[in-house]
Amino acid sequence: MKSQIADELECVKAKYPAERAALLPALYLAQRKYGWLSAEAMDEVSRELRVPKATVRGVATFYAMYRHKQVGRNVIQLCTNVSCMILGAERLVDIIREKYGVEPGGTSADGRFSLVIMECIGACGTAPAMLVNTDFHESLTQENIVTILEGYR
Amino acid sequence: MIKVTINGREVQLDKQVTILEAARRAGIKIPTLCHFEGLEMYGGCRLCLVEVEKMPRLQTSCTLMVTDGMVITTESEQIAAARRGMLEFILTNHPLDCPFCDKAGECELQDLVYLYGGTEGRFTEPKAKHPESNVDPILARNIERCISCTRCVRMCDGVVGASAISMINRGRHTVMEPFSGGKFDCEYCGNCLTVCPVGSILSRLYKETYRPWQVERTVRTVCGHCGVGCSYDLQVRDEAIKRVIPRIGEGLNRGLLCARGRFGYEFVGAKDRLKKPLVRRDGNLVETTWDEALGFIAAKLSEVIKTHGGEAVAGIASVRCTNEDNYVFQKFMRGVVGTNNIDSAARMGFSGAQAYLESLRGQGVSANVIAGLAKSDVIFVAGGDPTMVTPILGLEIRGAAKKGAKIISLDPAPGLEFFNPHKIVPSLFAEGAVLESLLCRAVSARGMTGELPHLEEAIRAAVSAECAGVAAQSGVPDAEIEKASATISGSQSPAFVIGPDIVQRADGNRNLFLLAALSYVTGGRIFLLSGKANEQGAVDMGCLPDTLPGGRPLAIDGFRKRHEDACGMSVPAREGLSLMEMFPAMADGRIKALYVIGENPAFNLPGGNSIKSALEKLDLLVVQDIFLTETAKMADIVLPALSWAEKDGTFTNLERRIQRVRRGVNREGREDWRILCDLAGRMGAAMEYASSEAVMSEIARVSPVHRDLHYSDIEAGAMQWPYHGEPLRGEASTVSLVTASARPTVGSGRFALLVDRPLFQSGTLTRRSKALLKLIPKATVKMNPLDAASLGISGGIVRVSSDAGSVELEAVIDSSVQMGAVKISNHFEGAGVFGLMTKPPVDPVTKAPAFEGCLVAVEPLKGDAKS
Ligand code: SF4
Ligand code: SF4
Ligand code: SF4
Ligand code: FES
Ligand code: FES
Repeated sequence: MKSQIADELECVKAKYPAERAALLPALYLAQRKYGWLSAEAMDEVSRELRVPKATVRGVATFYAMYRHKQVGRNVIQLCTNVSCMILGAERLVDIIREKYGVEPGGTSADGRFSLVIMECIGACGTAPAMLVNTDFHESLTQENIVTILEGYR
Repeated sequence: MIKVTINGREVQLDKQVTILEAARRAGIKIPTLCHFEGLEMYGGCRLCLVEVEKMPRLQTSCTLMVTDGMVITTESEQIAAARRGMLEFILTNHPLDCPFCDKAGECELQDLVYLYGGTEGRFTEPKAKHPESNVDPILARNIERCISCTRCVRMCDGVVGASAISMINRGRHTVMEPFSGGKFDCEYCGNCLTVCPVGSILSRLYKETYRPWQVERTVRTVCGHCGVGCSYDLQVRDEAIKRVIPRIGEGLNRGLLCARGRFGYEFVGAKDRLKKPLVRRDGNLVETTWDEALGFIAAKLSEVIKTHGGEAVAGIASVRCTNEDNYVFQKFMRGVVGTNNIDSAARMGFSGAQAYLESLRGQGVSANVIAGLAKSDVIFVAGGDPTMVTPILGLEIRGAAKKGAKIISLDPAPGLEFFNPHKIVPSLFAEGAVLESLLCRAVSARGMTGELPHLEEAIRAAVSAECAGVAAQSGVPDAEIEKASATISGSQSPAFVIGPDIVQRADGNRNLFLLAALSYVTGGRIFLLSGKANEQGAVDMGCLPDTLPGGRPLAIDGFRKRHEDACGMSVPAREGLSLMEMFPAMADGRIKALYVIGENPAFNLPGGNSIKSALEKLDLLVVQDIFLTETAKMADIVLPALSWAEKDGTFTNLERRIQRVRRGVNREGREDWRILCDLAGRMGAAMEYASSEAVMSEIARVSPVHRDLHYSDIEAGAMQWPYHGEPLRGEASTVSLVTASARPTVGSGRFALLVDRPLFQSGTLTRRSKALLKLIPKATVKMNPLDAASLGISGGIVRVSSDAGSVELEAVIDSSVQMGAVKISNHFEGAGVFGLMTKPPVDPVTKAPAFEGCLVAVEPLKGDAKS
């Protein structure tokens, strides 16, 4: 029984000297595939890399960029650290909450968006900034944020 | 030579060690929390801080290596303040609930806080709350007390190799958790519990039932479960075992234990232990007195001997009883009854295999030290998963693998899965072809030395000139075998670990021959797995139909005469019947009486009803046991014996190391040997010993191998083969080698029935240990996912039927089971694998029963199986 991420994983594994070394990218692949790292997803990574599953979980929970809860189809990672906050990021949170019904750390009822509050994503010069899935958006305003988000179904 | 100064004292060291270790050698104690001998270095708790001259800041002594000329101070105002600070920091999240913590009294944190202080914290933030987790049947987890020292994880991951737990999350949110976050679902060795310095990991077997200082007695003994023979302490209160704890670093197990050893002791206090002798009256077993019971046996046994001769009696010795019990038993059978019909369940694989290997390579060929596995660079595992059959030996293999040894496993060994094994999985029962091909290649790669000419002659006759294609029928490609062969050929010190599955075949002897030959040609050591505590002891004490104590063949007059003189009793010259030969003899009336100590043939032997109906034919069946087993229920007389925790004696482990078993629990009752001596007296023979030690003194006189071996030597450590004795030298001049006839073919709905040997169960004793029973509560049948799918089975209850009967069991899908086979264990009443086997064939050389002949059908039961 071939696992769903097996093929892609083969390419990743080839880049590393030992299977174990491919753990972080493998987790990332699993997350991309399933949206989050469920027990099954970690188990799959464990089997593919022959790294014990508790070890996989230890690593996966250490890094902030892995998700351990079911998330929406699109994940908004919005920064509210100093620069972004000064330029109105807090208001943007309210807009997202009001328009899509999603609380920070939560997911909208229709499963369309999840909102994650970030601490400085390194875009202070063009703050406020956010990531939607893997797309980067900067110089956000109360107007353009809605236009941008409307592009994600 | 490295010189350092610690607290003004000069310390000389022959090699580089940590400051902590250097101080320890100088008798200076440095407090530690995260450090633990034998675990990987960590340096997380910072309790072990010391001052090192010319180095800024305090240094962690558990990680810093000494260098020549270092000047170290281990106690000062500054250090004490730093330690107090670290403790204060640790306590910011600790509930300080010592009044109801099991660990209080032996808690390392408690002791250190008592010493350095730190309870008056300056943190005002509320402490993190984590309710204690009691969802696991064996281990409770109290994370509020956890100090994140990671000792448990380093133990589980680095030493045990189970890797079942990890530290999850980061920073102050770090906690130890098993993968599921709830149940541990692990190997339940409890070694994490040994190393946890605080009360975070707790055994539910005794949680909140006593305080460490309330233990009345701590007795050092040896585990009564498998043939590894781990040392540990029994802690007893109110004549009940409170817990089993290992001593760190001690014994061949160095303080490690497995689930059976650590948590499998509850049977000792089980309510259904036999208390009084039972006699059959009007068809029912009723309580009687010792006097009446022994009188009855003496009369009845004498009558059988008088009318039919001693050879109409047979005896089954015990692989769970001590050497002393077994020695006295064979002496009773030979000297008092007058028969060599003596054998034990070691015949199921171990004893015949060993005798055969010894005939090929010399006595003591399997007497190799388990710790030596760590020095092997290639470990070849065949015939069973050592991490399940003999768990601590399994850990040694994992340890070797971690150090770079290559593991080759013939047939699946799931416990070695994460240790990069080279897996060779031939088609069912075709291991022999792979071994033959490996031998062929080894001979052409290495040649032979001429050391054992008879063996070499047999090897030459067995191998073909052309090695390629030999393994064709095994389904394993030549390239695969070539790869394994290259690994073995390149090895300096290969080890061959032989499990029961490859022996219990109609041509088990051929597999053994090939393994013996392969190990001979490659200079490898042999380890023969033994799933019971004293299989080796039963063998060495002469509980064999053809061998006297000390491994001397009784057919040779000289040996027999010498033995008769030494023990003062005569021994019949004719060899007796081996275990599997006894039952047909009972069935056809050649054997009229059977005396069984500590064994349960009606359940533990393959043959289903044929065993039971043979037992029914007996004129007299005597059973000495601690429980009313299936066999005891059929007996005419049942005598209550003592368990291993209640008597003194010795066990011989699979390395042939002799170790002391000590009485921990006082219980009314008699040792098996004492019962037999009493009986001998009633039958007119004098067999009297003051103690088990006196029995050993006689063994030391009678058995050439155990010459001059007394309890004092065993306790002093002179207990490794060949003790002070004389093993038989030389090899047999003829090599018996018998190849099996055609095997039954599986397919078209018929599966080969194999014996499942799970980690948590090993039979009569474990099935009465509540904790272990929770881990495997009922009998199951394991099958390969593809086979299961083809029958539309994905779990639920299925019916397994053979010619001998059928049982309904829960199906478990397990990819480590080979296609075409199903596995059932032999632990649960009414659902044992052996009950499903019709009379099995017996290997003509080892006399071990062969299990490959039993085919079963599996069908899902409506309503239970999901499709
Ligand atoms: S009991 Fe053994 S296998 Fe289970 S978590 Fe503890 S150390 Fe690991
Ligand atoms: S559970 Fe015990 S051993 Fe494990 S990290 Fe916590 S305190 Fe240390
Ligand atoms: S490995 Fe064997 S002897 Fe050691 S604790 Fe486990 S069952 Fe007992
Ligand atoms: S503060 Fe928002 S990107 Fe740096
Ligand atoms: S014991 Fe040295 S840092 Fe913990």
